Amino acid sequence: MSSVEQGGVNLKPSGRVAGTSTSLAEVSISQTVGQLTVPDPVFSCRDVSVHYGSKQGVRDVSIDVGKRQVLAMIGPSGCGKSTFLRCLNRMNDTIAGARVTGKILLEGRDIHDRQLDVVQLRARVGMVFQKPNPFPKSIYDNVAYGPRLHGLARSRAQLDDIVCTSLQRAGLWDEVKDRLSQAGTGLSGGQQQRLCIARTIAVEPEVILMDEPCSALDPIATARIEDLIDELRASYAIVIVTHSMQQAARVSQRTAYFHLGSLVEVGETDRVFTNPRHKLTEDYITGRFG
Amino acid sequence: MSRRTVRKLTNVVALGLSTVATAIGVVFLAAILWTLFKDGLAGFSRSLFTGMTPPPGSVGGGLLNAIYGSVVMTVLGTLIGAPVGMLAGTYLAEYGRNTRLAMVIRFINDVLLSAPSIIVGLFVYELVVVPMGHFSAISGAIALAIIAMPVVVRTTEDMLNLVPQGMKDASTALGAYPWRTITSIAYPAARSGMVTGLLLAVARISGESAPMIFTALNNQFWSTDLRAPMANLPMVIFQFALSPYGNWQQLAWSAALLITLTILLLSIIARVAVSRFSPGARKR
Repeated sequence: MSSVEQGGVNLKPSGRVAGTSTSLAEVSISQTVGQLTVPDPVFSCRDVSVHYGSKQGVRDVSIDVGKRQVLAMIGPSGCGKSTFLRCLNRMNDTIAGARVTGKILLEGRDIHDRQLDVVQLRARVGMVFQKPNPFPKSIYDNVAYGPRLHGLARSRAQLDDIVCTSLQRAGLWDEVKDRLSQAGTGLSGGQQQRLCIARTIAVEPEVILMDEPCSALDPIATARIEDLIDELRASYAIVIVTHSMQQAARVSQRTAYFHLGSLVEVGETDRVFTNPRHKLTEDYITGRFG
Repeated sequence: MSRRTVRKLTNVVALGLSTVATAIGVVFLAAILWTLFKDGLAGFSRSLFTGMTPPPGSVGGGLLNAIYGSVVMTVLGTLIGAPVGMLAGTYLAEYGRNTRLAMVIRFINDVLLSAPSIIVGLFVYELVVVPMGHFSAISGAIALAIIAMPVVVRTTEDMLNLVPQGMKDASTALGAYPWRTITSIAYPAARSGMVTGLLLAVARISGESAPMIFTALNNQFWSTDLRAPMANLPMVIFQFALSPYGNWQQLAWSAALLITLTILLLSIIARVAVSRFSPGARKR
């Protein structure tokens, strides 16, 4: 655990600074309680808001995502955690009428920079969805899709290697090695989700976003995915949205609590669950609300 | 009567009505097919596929020129209409999904879909036949293309809309541009439906006679010139079935059966092909 809690709100409240500055220290931080920043973050988000038409889905969210750790985002339905997650790989671009404001820096570079290709961004920031969504292709072609897209393999042997390694890291290899040419859609739900994880890590991303990856799975498949997340943490930064507080407590090092589009509290998972500082967080994790 | 009895009775009545409705449909279909086979098969011989349409009052003759013409114009019409229809359907389902332009196009397409085919014929007559100065096979193909297009637009859009959004999102999230997602994910996933739509279009245009009156007209002789009038099965049926000559009437029956069998064969081939090349069945 690299971030150190310093007690209380460690960021001094500051007035709103008009847009152009890139220095993060100057940018205003909203009313979030807890430790927003981590040393050497992979993502730094400041004052991120999302509007759908006239409705606001996410309100001035500022948070860092640390390397090689899992950040869990919890909160009641419709609190904006999934919407915020989709900002990180600009998936909200695909929704008509959605508008994202604020700053999101990936390794210090603004992901909304005109010169930054969104395709490049999505190669660096992978995503696993709520419902397992394998392509109607063979298991092999599912995993090879990303590497082919980005030209990662120069030869067939190299592609074979990427597919094999990705499936091994997703813990699926032993179950499918004899039937790589069969349809990915023929696997069980849990296997499909691990196939989707293999497909995501095949392009060697830096960050993996997971949007309730276990909500469609049974407890055994869920346990396997959670173990997998723990292993993947050694190589990737992971941001996971979950409705299960137990899951957040099990897999994450940091937890962020969202409420009505705002980030209410963020901090080390142990601390947030044992000693929540905000009333809303406490109500939610004790089950009094939501 | 208790509530349960009423419900049971309602169920029996609903079941009975739908069974009767189905039976009516099937009976008429069977009657049409029976007549078609009975009267059509009588004319099947080698000369049907080798001889030309005979002049009035002669004996024998065949349909070779009409079969050729129908195949050429249907294929040409499909080749022109299907790509345009597929791309337009792709625009409606993927690129322009919620735009005002797409709504307008969708509405106009629906109008075109139900437009009487004779009006399409008249349109092409003004557009192609009048400037050319005479009837031609190419104008027939264009008329057929215009009739096939809205069918393909509609089925392509419907089938692409059936592809789960999550699947397309997964491709986008891996860094694929929309076109790549459409060609690598959406088209393969919607393939069987799109092929069915294409076949529907082929089936629709291969039996069209009304637009032919204004475009390809007919030809008593063998002709491969696309700029000249060309014989075709629907016009042969139209002309020969109304004639007083026995051998002409026989040829009309045979032509009708021929069209029906071709469509049947096409459907079977397409179904086999679609299941053969469905995902997962492929070697890696």
